[in-house]
Amino acid sequence: VQYELRYQVIEPKRQTYQNVIDRFGDQPASRYLEGTLDIEPRENFHYRPTWVQDRELYDARYTALQLTDPYSFLDPRQYYYTPYVTNRAAAHDEFGKTLAYLEQRDLLEKMPESWKHILGHVVVPLRHYESGAQLITVAGARFAYGTSLEQCCTYAAFDRIGNAQMLSRVGLALGGGAAEVLKSAKQGWLDAEHLQPLRRLVEEIMIVDDWAEGVLAVDAIDKLVYPLLYQGLDEAALLGGAGAYSLFAQHLTGWFADQRKWIDALVTSWSTDEQHGAANLEVLARIDATWGARAVEAVGALDAVVRRELGEAA
Amino acid sequence: VTTTLRQVGIDIQDSEENRGLIDAIKADNPELTIRHLPGLVKLQAAGQIVINRDTVEQKLGREWETGEFQLAIVSYAGNFSEWDDDQIIVKWEH
Repeated sequence: VQYELRYQVIEPKRQTYQNVIDRFGDQPASRYLEGTLDIEPRENFHYRPTWVQDRELYDARYTALQLTDPYSFLDPRQYYYTPYVTNRAAAHDEFGKTLAYLEQRDLLEKMPESWKHILGHVVVPLRHYESGAQLITVAGARFAYGTSLEQCCTYAAFDRIGNAQMLSRVGLALGGGAAEVLKSAKQGWLDAEHLQPLRRLVEEIMIVDDWAEGVLAVDAIDKLVYPLLYQGLDEAALLGGAGAYSLFAQHLTGWFADQRKWIDALVTSWSTDEQHGAANLEVLARIDATWGARAVEAVGALDAVVRRELGEAA
Repeated sequence: VTTTLRQVGIDIQDSEENRGLIDAIKADNPELTIRHLPGLVKLQAAGQIVINRDTVEQKLGREWETGEFQLAIVSYAGNFSEWDDDQIIVKWEH
């Protein structure tokens, strides 16, 4: 007797959820699209926020930067919960390994004094900067219109906690496990001269009403701080006997590259929007003019300390 | 003289991970026919199928090495006429 194996294909009634079908037709779609497109409520809000009576709870007008369709922007990294968490867990595992390596060999302790000073008095205090950036970004998560934008802000806000944690851990390691470095970093954030322009700037950004302006203002600082302190010091650290600094800094450089992907894509979406592009460009130019110069001033104060320390070492 | 191009095909496991890859192949091969079978996606085209790393990376939103293609495929019909860091081409060479 011969048996023939046959399979029967049962066509699913639908390949994906209605929110995706509405936009792309009935075809298999990624989890990211399924969990992102048109998820945020747009109608049937029963109550208006008591604190802005002319706005809805979720409203595109919480920023001057408008998109005709908020879902014309999609996260190039396609992060939803699982990929985001997996990715960041791996990143922080890697960081933990680096730190363990540094600690086992006392490499932070063995850095030249000038590098210890840079790490302890310029870099570690920035955990408070990260904390401020977290607040600003989380406001973006609340007020952004469109799940695709909101998700990016949410994850970026979590990232800030992660970054602050990396800085804290390296601070603890630098202090040999004691909290002294963190305490002095906090005090420095409150009263050290070189950190005040940055603290003032972050605190001013915190009270900006327009969420996108806040996020972009922080980004204006990031664009200076990250290349300056992490990537920019890499070679000087390696040649100056502070390989430990380079090993630590690579993780923040890695994060910044990831952050750029969504922010740059979002700015492109804003500036190329068919209907609002021209108006958005004006707003972007204004934001850049307002906060860009402030960022240069604030980061310049950090740069001066770094230069002074490295100048002495040379 | 008319020559009919022979069909080449790639069978890819139907999974969340591979969806971006399939989208990329779809984008780079306009003539592609796609059949969904249980657990399997059968891609066929006349002549050749091209897979570009660039496109796959765009669709996946992450870096992708052409070697990862091994993990996605179940079966194929044709020869790998090219398999380098940037591109894979499946076609009949005889």
